Amino acid sequence: MARYLLRRLNLFLATALLMLGILFYATSLFPVEHSYALSGVRVPSLQQQAQIIEDYQLEQGELAQFIAYVQQRLGGNLGLSLTSQQPVANELASVLPASFELAIVAGLIALVLGIPLGVLASQSQHKLTQHCIMAITLTGYSIPVFWLGLLLSLWFGVRLGWLPISGQINLLYEIRPVSGFMLIDTLLSDSQYRWSAFKDVLLHLLLPAITLAVLPFTVVVRITRSAMMNVMNQTFIRAAEARGLKTSKIIVRHALPNALIPVLKHLGLMLGPFASYAIIVEMIFAWPGVGSWLISGIYQRDYTVIQGGILAVSLLIIFLNILIEVLHTVSNPLSRKELYAAN
Amino acid sequence: MRPIKIYQEDQIPSPTLRLWMLFSANPFALAGLWGVCTLLLLTLFGTYIAPFSPEAQDPRALLLPPSWDPAGTVEHFLGTDDLGRDIFSRLLHGARLTFGMSLSIVATALSMGFVIGSISGMMHGLKSSILGHLLDALLSIPSLLMAILVVAVMGPGLNNVFWAVGIALTPQFVRAIHQSVHEELQKEYVTAAKLDGANGLQIFWFVIMPNVWETVIIQTTLAISAAILDIAALGFLNLGAQAPSPEWGAMVSQGLDNLLTAPWTVTIPGVAILFSVLAINLVGDGLRSALTPIRT
Amino acid sequence: MSVLIKRLCLTTAVACMGCILVACGPQRVPSGLVYCSEGNPESFNPQLVTSGTTIDATSHQIYSRLVDYDAASGQIVPALATRWHMSKDGLSYYFTLRHDVQFHQTSRFMPSRPMTADDVLFSFNRIIDTQHPYHKISRTGYPFFQSISFAEQISSIEKISDDRLVFHLNHKDASFLSNLATDFAVILSAEYAEQLLAAGHPADLDQYAIGTGPFKLVQYVKNEYIRYRKHPDYWGEMPKIDMLVFDITSKSTVRLAKLITGDCSVSALPKAGELSVVQQHPDIMLESQPGLNVAFWAFNTQKAPFNDVRVRRALAHAIDKKNILRAVYQDTAVEATGILPPASWAYEHNADLIAYDPQKAKALLNEAGIENLSIDIWAMPVARIYNPNALKTAELIQSDLANIGVRVNIISYDWSVFSQKLSESNYDSVLIGWTADNSDPDNFFTPLLSCSSAHTQNNRARWCHPGLDAVLTQARTVTSRLERRYLYQQAEAILADQLPMVSLAHAKRMVLKRKNVTETQLMPFGGIAFGGIGHENGEAR
Repeated sequence: MARYLLRRLNLFLATALLMLGILFYATSLFPVEHSYALSGVRVPSLQQQAQIIEDYQLEQGELAQFIAYVQQRLGGNLGLSLTSQQPVANELASVLPASFELAIVAGLIALVLGIPLGVLASQSQHKLTQHCIMAITLTGYSIPVFWLGLLLSLWFGVRLGWLPISGQINLLYEIRPVSGFMLIDTLLSDSQYRWSAFKDVLLHLLLPAITLAVLPFTVVVRITRSAMMNVMNQTFIRAAEARGLKTSKIIVRHALPNALIPVLKHLGLMLGPFASYAIIVEMIFAWPGVGSWLISGIYQRDYTVIQGGILAVSLLIIFLNILIEVLHTVSNPLSRKELYAAN
Repeated sequence: MRPIKIYQEDQIPSPTLRLWMLFSANPFALAGLWGVCTLLLLTLFGTYIAPFSPEAQDPRALLLPPSWDPAGTVEHFLGTDDLGRDIFSRLLHGARLTFGMSLSIVATALSMGFVIGSISGMMHGLKSSILGHLLDALLSIPSLLMAILVVAVMGPGLNNVFWAVGIALTPQFVRAIHQSVHEELQKEYVTAAKLDGANGLQIFWFVIMPNVWETVIIQTTLAISAAILDIAALGFLNLGAQAPSPEWGAMVSQGLDNLLTAPWTVTIPGVAILFSVLAINLVGDGLRSALTPIRT
Repeated sequence: MSVLIKRLCLTTAVACMGCILVACGPQRVPSGLVYCSEGNPESFNPQLVTSGTTIDATSHQIYSRLVDYDAASGQIVPALATRWHMSKDGLSYYFTLRHDVQFHQTSRFMPSRPMTADDVLFSFNRIIDTQHPYHKISRTGYPFFQSISFAEQISSIEKISDDRLVFHLNHKDASFLSNLATDFAVILSAEYAEQLLAAGHPADLDQYAIGTGPFKLVQYVKNEYIRYRKHPDYWGEMPKIDMLVFDITSKSTVRLAKLITGDCSVSALPKAGELSVVQQHPDIMLESQPGLNVAFWAFNTQKAPFNDVRVRRALAHAIDKKNILRAVYQDTAVEATGILPPASWAYEHNADLIAYDPQKAKALLNEAGIENLSIDIWAMPVARIYNPNALKTAELIQSDLANIGVRVNIISYDWSVFSQKLSESNYDSVLIGWTADNSDPDNFFTPLLSCSSAHTQNNRARWCHPGLDAVLTQARTVTSRLERRYLYQQAEAILADQLPMVSLAHAKRMVLKRKNVTETQLMPFGGIAFGGIGHENGEAR
């Protein structure tokens, strides 16, 4: 097992290094001066210029430059934002929690609704129900998320006036960021408007979270359904049935845990598209997270923000991917056996 | 004289025919196929049947609703946008940009992925392992981020979308082909062929290849729908096709200004995107379930 | 199976109950007002910029001026200066300052004294004295002051006592007081500047602003919001709200949606097409005022082929302004025949000399010997009062010019990049506009088209014409309105002949607000002021 974990760690490092390599190469292609794209200092003094050259080894060979680049970036120096002249790392830290909040809530909605629905779908014998579920999930899978977001905000926000459609909170509430998660921060704040603020945050969160949850929800339903159908045909289920267990018990105790293993695996595969969708959803609902920060960075040709954002998001995805894979292996004895056979 | 029938049973269908029979038994898949055919025809000939030029502005018909609305006219079947451009014509011209381009991107990515994937799949040991990890890394970058990086380097524009989405899609093909070649390589029938003295190229082409096609087909349908969504998303974010272009995603973003007053400028191009992605996915789904019994 | 469904139902029911419980609590909102603004301010010091967004966010909120302009009476009224008079020769202006005007007190700065003549001296010396330690801190220069040659106009500013000072002018200028009343001529704190200089962060002066206005700046988060609080020691009438938030929302549809959902109470720059939506919502109303502004299409006259008047004329004849008015402004704006808008006192209606005539345009191009012309149009990416949608205007011009065989390439970047690249002055033509800063007609000519402004960002046509300059100088030195009016008509005639730019429209200044908001102060030129605004719910009453 230790050897396996070590290999995964190794994989993480190799992938991260490759990612840095791609970014390093891309940085040299940006249509601005190289040292500017690296450091983001708009009008460097002579001293700063010397410091930049020193930091990034700009007078050395490519390899030395790359090593210096990796050292700087992993050391937390992401440069200054070209437009605001603030450290990119600070900006990143201030926008990350909002994205996490949205992603976690959306993920929870998808899992909490998707798994039971998938189980129900697998149990249904009706051709019509089966077709309906397939049609709905396939539509959900095919729907362009920006369009869905617009329609939902048009309908629920403007026509019906039920939900706010933009931003994280009514800006009149002044919430001091503690954890960065608005839902927690509003409760932690000592203002007299705490509960109103909490409710306001919840309402603001609803539409973006639902929009973002559509893709993982459909995937979870489909995978759960097919995995359940697979599992229910296995002999140990038949054995459990023969022992006279109730169907509900069989499903919850015996079938579901086994069916969730492929769901877990697919969650890992879904992270990439999920991140893409999250960026667009943040953009539509003006959610102050990494996605809208990154997109406004590209609109403003803010090359340090682009580098920092892409690096952070992809490292995060690589990490989560590997984490999910490890979890998958840990929870699945079958794949543990294959560990040493595969390369 | 009719040939004498010796055996009772019918002719044994070829694998392709069996695939088709299974596929066509699924009404959804068949509907999807019709949809894809329609889209293909529109991509090829849509510009000829469009009643107006995509950029022709009609100052007397600004924001005209679609024809089924009491205020709409039949002349502008799907209404007009805020510059008086006919949405129906723009959709037809946009089919070539969104759907047509997704096909060409996938074709390019497929051929690139095919070459790299099969070479790497035939390799053994450390080289293969390193390549596998490399692909994992490339795959973990969300396609939109990859596209953003490309746009940051090359600037926005429809041509750059081609590269952005292509670069994002290629690793998926490489990986899928790499894996399935690698899997096939371990099987016993390949060993048998090796023992017969077939060289690497022969094994690859005559032995392994026929068994990899299925993966390629499934991967292709997945990639086309992903490509359409990516092109449209980039157009919507204004990083892809630029303003007057009738690319569907860009049309949605151009209609955004009138979302409240003229929602059809947003909904209609969106429906077009949804329809084409859905059609592709239906075909892909049908193919996958039709292929499954053959594969197992 | 049924147990499963039961459990599912139960969970859903509990979740719903929870939601309802939360929803039942009375929704209380702190006293304050949210204004949906259209973009990020470039700086928090209006001296350094001319963009309306920055002016809105700073000028009337954070700062005060020596004198103000009263829109209703058309007179200059006291602000920080209570009294002033001009010497007989018209070359010296004496000001007496208001007592006990306090600067904002924030976490960064604790004022030790009220405002004095030193602060006024600092605010203006920074602009006119090139040796001043703060002069070079501004990377963008002082575009408004440069374009009116402020530094050349003033020979010195002298402090007489703590509450008295005098401006010495080099030559007579009828528009001097009007210029001091503009949104740009704000008073900064000299004490704060000294502290920052000593601490080595002089640039913070323009970012973490300190002023004497009704609101103090609390927090600015780029792309998201600006938060202000009431200034408890404000010298004027105390604002009725405790907090003011600028919710930065660049898309006008989203601004309107936020207004409908109640996330903001006042919303900037509605698009003309959205006014029909307003009629469907009884709790939203439109406030509009004829604006002193002009949207134009400026040619880079220093660059071929736009240095040829025939080309400029051809392009001007080729575009259909009526169509632009209909599609972009939905006929809420007035077609521009010259630079001056009808609301200006120097305006005189004359028939449009540059009618829509593609045939003539083609002929002119042939005459100039130009074939296969392909030009770039830079369209600003943001909505402004004078042009709610420059990109759409550019698309209309694109199709108009296609009719005379001219290809158009539309260029647009995000605003910060756009203005930066535009100042590199390598463009062909640009769609932009101008909002007057005061009622003086000179404000439309000197900053935009005089030789002295040719190197500032305001003169987008990069136009320098000695004849025009002579007329403008003369118009500034005479004081009779009739005479000045005649001179400005002459200036208009020169421009109509030379066409360094094509004026498109004069738009109305509009904001949308919820019915419960009372008393917005919409300035006819540029800025919006929230000092007097009231809000019917909350403690603000």
